[in-house]
Amino acid sequence: MSKVLNDLIESLKCLPGVGPKSATRMAYYLLQRDPDGAKNLANSILNSFKHLGKCKSCNNFCETAVCDLCSDNGRDNSVLCVIEMPTDLLMFEQTHSYNGLYYILMGRLSPLDGIGPKELAMNSLYERCKDENIKEVIIATNFTKEGDATSTFITELIKDLDKKISRIARGMPSGSEIEYTDTGTLAQAISERKNIN
Amino acid sequence: MKRVEDHNIYILHTYPFKETSLIVEALSENFGRISLLAKGARRPRSLLRGYLQPFQMIQATWSNVSDLKTLYNVEWNSKYLGLKNQALICGFYMNELIMKLLPKDESSNVFFNFYHQQLEELSLNVGYESLLRLFELKLLEELGYKVNLDEDENGNPINPKKFYYYEAEYGASLPDVSTNGVKIIGQTLIDMHNNDYSHLNTLKQSKLLMRYLMRFYTGHDLVKSKELFLTNDR
Repeated sequence: MSKVLNDLIESLKCLPGVGPKSATRMAYYLLQRDPDGAKNLANSILNSFKHLGKCKSCNNFCETAVCDLCSDNGRDNSVLCVIEMPTDLLMFEQTHSYNGLYYILMGRLSPLDGIGPKELAMNSLYERCKDENIKEVIIATNFTKEGDATSTFITELIKDLDKKISRIARGMPSGSEIEYTDTGTLAQAISERKNIN
Repeated sequence: MKRVEDHNIYILHTYPFKETSLIVEALSENFGRISLLAKGARRPRSLLRGYLQPFQMIQATWSNVSDLKTLYNVEWNSKYLGLKNQALICGFYMNELIMKLLPKDESSNVFFNFYHQQLEELSLNVGYESLLRLFELKLLEELGYKVNLDEDENGNPINPKKFYYYEAEYGASLPDVSTNGVKIIGQTLIDMHNNDYSHLNTLKQSKLLMRYLMRFYTGHDLVKSKELFLTNDR
């Protein structure tokens, strides 16, 4: 096999879930079926690296120093929602129920994978939370044990800043029936029930 | 094909495998530390997802054809522990040490039962430090490194009032015999032997001793979970 083609296949293998077989299939597809698409892909990747940086305020990828969402005056700058990944931001935006700002950790603390506070740049989050306008920090990391540990860490980290700290609620998915809910979720729901009177 | 049915396990850690699967590292009641392949466990609607989390005992069914066992089914079979806050971080610390030190496929159910009991106590949110010291000692014992606390290197009983030097692999010796290792008062060794951490000095000194021993036995490998303790360096 030509070295150039081999390099392309090797490069495609860096994508998550792509092994040698899929990489070979992708390489042949791009070269044979969609050369324009391939050129666009190559340019877009190069462009992203050239122009994209991190938003100073929320740590999301953007082309300017501060992203559009963070510079939007219509948003409530007194609440900051801390999330793991940019895809989580999209999910929260789809709810149309949150109008505050975000901070994206770009991961979660997972000591067994070698990800500690330094790897997640927790000190930048601390600096962000110092902002006087922020009155409440909502921790919306995943409900995995790693997400919970990240939440604990952040709570300890920012507790001296005197902000309200909250964690998103967990429990039964909406529209679900108890009979068909998994036991783990149900156990959490009963253990973390809330008062309604 | 051998099949293990409804066996008690604790998840220690999971790694993504291929597009939708997980490799599950677990501590099992009778087979020690094992690896299981959970096919499709990362699919959005996989029923396994909610169960394959650490710090909760589950019953697992797997087939045993090779080193990597395939997980078929899990059932929830114990009360919800819900480790929170610092207890959760202690749990990660214990899991990291088990993953680093305990070899696969060899362990006794004594250690499993001990781990189970430790988690139950952690969930009660009391005295984390003494629990961690006890865990470190038991883990070393499980690995075959007995930490001798009631007698010195020469088999003489520990004098609570005298200072000793504790060296890994050797034990405690009086300063005129050896000054290698960690300097420690006899009372601390006796308290640790009796699992009594009510004195502040015992807590402090036992931490130094265990930190030294763990560093020795992990080959100076960094224990990442420690970075998660912010308030207090455990």
